[in-house]
Amino acid sequence: MSMSKPDLILREKVLAKTRRGVADCFQCMKCTSGCTALKLLELKPHEIMRLIEWGFLDELVTSDIIWTCATCLKCTERCPQKASPYHAIMALRNIAVEKEVKVPEAYLKAVSQILESGLAETIQKIVTRDAEAFDRESLKLPKIANPKGGFQVAFMKILEER
Amino acid sequence: MARIGVYICHCGLNIAGVIDVEEVAEYAKSLPDVAIARHYAYTCSEPGQRIIQEDIKTEKLDRVVVAACSPLMHEETFRKTVAEAGLNPYLLEMVNLREHVSWVHFGKPEEATEKAKDLIRMGVARAKLLEPLQRKKVSVEKSVLVVGGGIAGIQASLDLANAGLDVILVEKSPSIGGKMAMLDKTFPTLDCSACILTPKMTEAARHPKIKLLTYAEVENVSGHVGNYEVTILKKARYVDEDKCRGCGVCATKCPVNVPDEFNMGLGTRKAIYIQFPQAVPLGYTIDEENCLYFSKGVCRICEKVCGFKAINFEQKPQRIKVKVGGIVIAIGAEIFDASKIPEFAFGKSKNIITNLQFERLTSASGPTGGEIVCPQTNKRARSIAFIQCVGSRDKRFNEYCCRIGCANTLKQAILAREKLGKDSDIYVCYIDIRAFGRGYEELYRRARSMNINFVAGIPSEIYVEPDGTLSFNVFDKNIDKLLEIRSDLVVLVNGLTLSYDAEKVSAVFHVPKGLDGFLLEAHPKLRPLESVVPGIFLAGICQGPKDIPEAVSHASGAAAKVIDLLSRVEIELEPLKAFVDKEFCSGCGLCMPVCPYTAIEMKIEKMNGSERHRAEIIEEMCQGCGVCAIACPSGAIKVHHYTNEQILAQVHAACLK
Amino acid sequence: MKVAVFWGCRILTSQYAYEMSVRETFPRLNVNLVDLPETNCCGEPIKSIKESAADYLATRILALTNTTGLSDLLVPCNRCHFALSEAMEKLRKDDETSKKIINTLKEEGLSYNPKIKIWHTIDFLHDFVGTEKVKKAVQKPLKGLKLATHVGCQIIRYSDLGRIDDSENPQKLNNLVNALGAEVVDYPKKLDCCGGALMRSHPNAALSLASTKLTLLQSLSINGLVVSCPECGLMLDSKQKEAAAIAGAKLNLPVLYYTQLLGLALNIEQEKLGLQLNQSPVNQLLLNIER
Repeated sequence: MSMSKPDLILREKVLAKTRRGVADCFQCMKCTSGCTALKLLELKPHEIMRLIEWGFLDELVTSDIIWTCATCLKCTERCPQKASPYHAIMALRNIAVEKEVKVPEAYLKAVSQILESGLAETIQKIVTRDAEAFDRESLKLPKIANPKGGFQVAFMKILEER
Repeated sequence: MARIGVYICHCGLNIAGVIDVEEVAEYAKSLPDVAIARHYAYTCSEPGQRIIQEDIKTEKLDRVVVAACSPLMHEETFRKTVAEAGLNPYLLEMVNLREHVSWVHFGKPEEATEKAKDLIRMGVARAKLLEPLQRKKVSVEKSVLVVGGGIAGIQASLDLANAGLDVILVEKSPSIGGKMAMLDKTFPTLDCSACILTPKMTEAARHPKIKLLTYAEVENVSGHVGNYEVTILKKARYVDEDKCRGCGVCATKCPVNVPDEFNMGLGTRKAIYIQFPQAVPLGYTIDEENCLYFSKGVCRICEKVCGFKAINFEQKPQRIKVKVGGIVIAIGAEIFDASKIPEFAFGKSKNIITNLQFERLTSASGPTGGEIVCPQTNKRARSIAFIQCVGSRDKRFNEYCCRIGCANTLKQAILAREKLGKDSDIYVCYIDIRAFGRGYEELYRRARSMNINFVAGIPSEIYVEPDGTLSFNVFDKNIDKLLEIRSDLVVLVNGLTLSYDAEKVSAVFHVPKGLDGFLLEAHPKLRPLESVVPGIFLAGICQGPKDIPEAVSHASGAAAKVIDLLSRVEIELEPLKAFVDKEFCSGCGLCMPVCPYTAIEMKIEKMNGSERHRAEIIEEMCQGCGVCAIACPSGAIKVHHYTNEQILAQVHAACLK
Repeated sequence: MKVAVFWGCRILTSQYAYEMSVRETFPRLNVNLVDLPETNCCGEPIKSIKESAADYLATRILALTNTTGLSDLLVPCNRCHFALSEAMEKLRKDDETSKKIINTLKEEGLSYNPKIKIWHTIDFLHDFVGTEKVKKAVQKPLKGLKLATHVGCQIIRYSDLGRIDDSENPQKLNNLVNALGAEVVDYPKKLDCCGGALMRSHPNAALSLASTKLTLLQSLSINGLVVSCPECGLMLDSKQKEAAAIAGAKLNLPVLYYTQLLGLALNIEQEKLGLQLNQSPVNQLLLNIER
């Protein structure tokens, strides 16, 4: 067992980012009881709320657990204190990115994809049940209107701003 | 030239900790018309009051300004102080240096001190213009109206009647007893509720000083403390109360079956019914809405079979007018409607029930004779799960704690274990177990010793499988595990919420509700038994959640307050009321409809041979709100102690910076 | 009526059937779709990276809608609808970040119009067009068809934000299916998530969630499942086989978009509705309709 030290400065930062009150959480377990990611990924939203309130943020921000949220919003909807573990987790993710701690590859890929084409995904060929391959063109769907003009610069600017 | 004494209170450190009281006292001395200015640690204490009284004599003061806490706290205190020294009590002005200055500006002592000086300058300017006023004395009616016949209403009625006052007890249901009559056992002692309640019900019905009006509601209240005029609507039961013996033959023949409200919908009753076997008065009532005669013009079997000729379809509702000196409101409360929380699936399965429905199941006089069965299948339950805090401690519904949910569930869980035996599973899913009352902690330990599973967590939702099984997942924070629980019965522990009649009662009696919906007391700590309306008192859970001993204490306390009030030959009315300056009144009548207390009359006066309308304030009913004074286009109506001159003097003094 | 449409990323890059079926069916209901002059990601994945950047992307879409002169925007994807809704709520607060976003867009020659109303496929058809009109347009009632619906998560939660249907008891998609003549079968865990958001970082867990949902649905006697979000479609239809493999389950449930079902009831050719693209065994369901 190790002694964690609370990081109160980082705590203020997180609290400023969350849309709803973290302090209001009174550990009723309703969020965790219904959490989509609990059984498979051991996500316990109530624990994250308490750790934030205490200020044990280093372990949270560097953890893998904050990336297991399925964003189903059941916790936000049903919380009797109108706290929102979902928003708290998103705030923690933002801080992890800011501190350049581990971020799942796929999210970074989405960023570079958006910079390149405006979209977060690449165009795929779909193979039908009869093994024929189709894409937008062969399905006679209109071309995608990728962003022009100052989009890249603007998006980059907002991403890098402190 | 006035001779004003100014007294600045330290209030310990409450005021002096922020404001420089010495500086303020010096400043006060410099104001015109101030004969003496002092500062003192606790002005409301005996020595503090004596200083004022002595100064009044030696310094020949004719006005006193006390700069201290809020007038709501001690205006009465200081009025008595100056009156004892021979000064008219309305020549006192209070300046609020605590709630208005030191408590709100504690971070800015210099600015606070300046504000204190400003407020005192304003207070002195007003004090100069204060007029002596006399309290009018009125006689009192030695009778009391008690609204609501639950345990609180019954207790209050008995205490009042035993003290020699005439009591009119009005109850909207056909029988008194309230929610307590629906309970099986009571916590923490596991006393049988009916056994302790019914003797009181009978005592109330038999008491020579108590007039019981059931199936009745208060329609209108007018008047003032000591002299209220109340109109009560006694609904038609279509059964002659004097003739009905409660034999029940009519009900056996009645063809209509409707859900039984007393059994919370778990059983049925007839259109002619009594709520429960121990009903007081023991008389039947015909439910107009469901009776075939009233809805379709047929049947009337009850009339044919009644051996006492007690049925009377021609009965009309009555309006009864009474005069009372005081009123006790004891309208009780309701339980939260669990269908407002759809994730708990109330209404999706008959086996998801409320805590009150569970009371009816375990009750020997209930629809199952006390057997804990699943309403869906009528088979004995082999597992029960209690879900606490449904609708309570929930910002989406009621933020408050219902106070009785924990103890009630402990009781119900223990009863369930006793009735269902060792092989049944009983779960209590909780956020906290609040076992604060006398005997509660012992009850909790008893429950823990009976293999009742206390789960430290609330489920997110309850699933109803197609075959009717109930299941839910709940994370227990104490063992850090997700539990998957299947249960025959789920009991949603619904909290208390305001009575269905709260709106109506609030309007009829002019008694406001708090933010939480319960009726508002005059002061949450020091005056929990009085409403803000003089002469109207609150008893029981209408003023906030309580258990039975608390409700009984509350009711007896309210009764004591009424007895105190009506023990006098006369009571004094505050003179802070409106009055009409006849010279300026043109008789336009704009004031009459705006008065919320119907305290203005238009009188016809004969002057110089012609007739003129003039407004007149009915002093006893006026509450001094001042709305008429604002409405009056010619400024003819003024309010004693709050005249334009007095208020404008304060404004001028404020601007003198 | 004219309505602008924002497809998001998934629909444009892989869930072609949804786009095809919307483009085919809406004109039959007198709704003309107007594509935005440019499109970009709504910002959903960027919420995990930087909230302000995500809000910028969402606001850009609303500003692009402004250039069409239309005040109604159709957003067929649940997640895009959520991203745009949260962005709009933030903009209403008019704080520093909102001002920055609006200024950045101004520099790009775009302006944000707070009066734009966003719609999802479900509430657009249910409330704007109306179930009565949908019913009237039906040429081939889907009689005897028993279907379950999966509405998704971010379109009904969280209710304080203002969503398109009741969060605990959503009925609109069911009503729309009924309007086509088919029967809707309810099931207890209908509010459970398809797992879509986890595909990026935890694909196995995501597919496991999808498999659990599909296994439960299979145990009901239904002819198929109706979805109305490209993320849900991706998980429950496109990746049904993968989900089965991960979870070691046997999955065999026809899954299709509501607009594909609508198209069938309007007697539109199957190919035009992209039904050849569905990876789940929709042939079973199509046979049931033909009967």
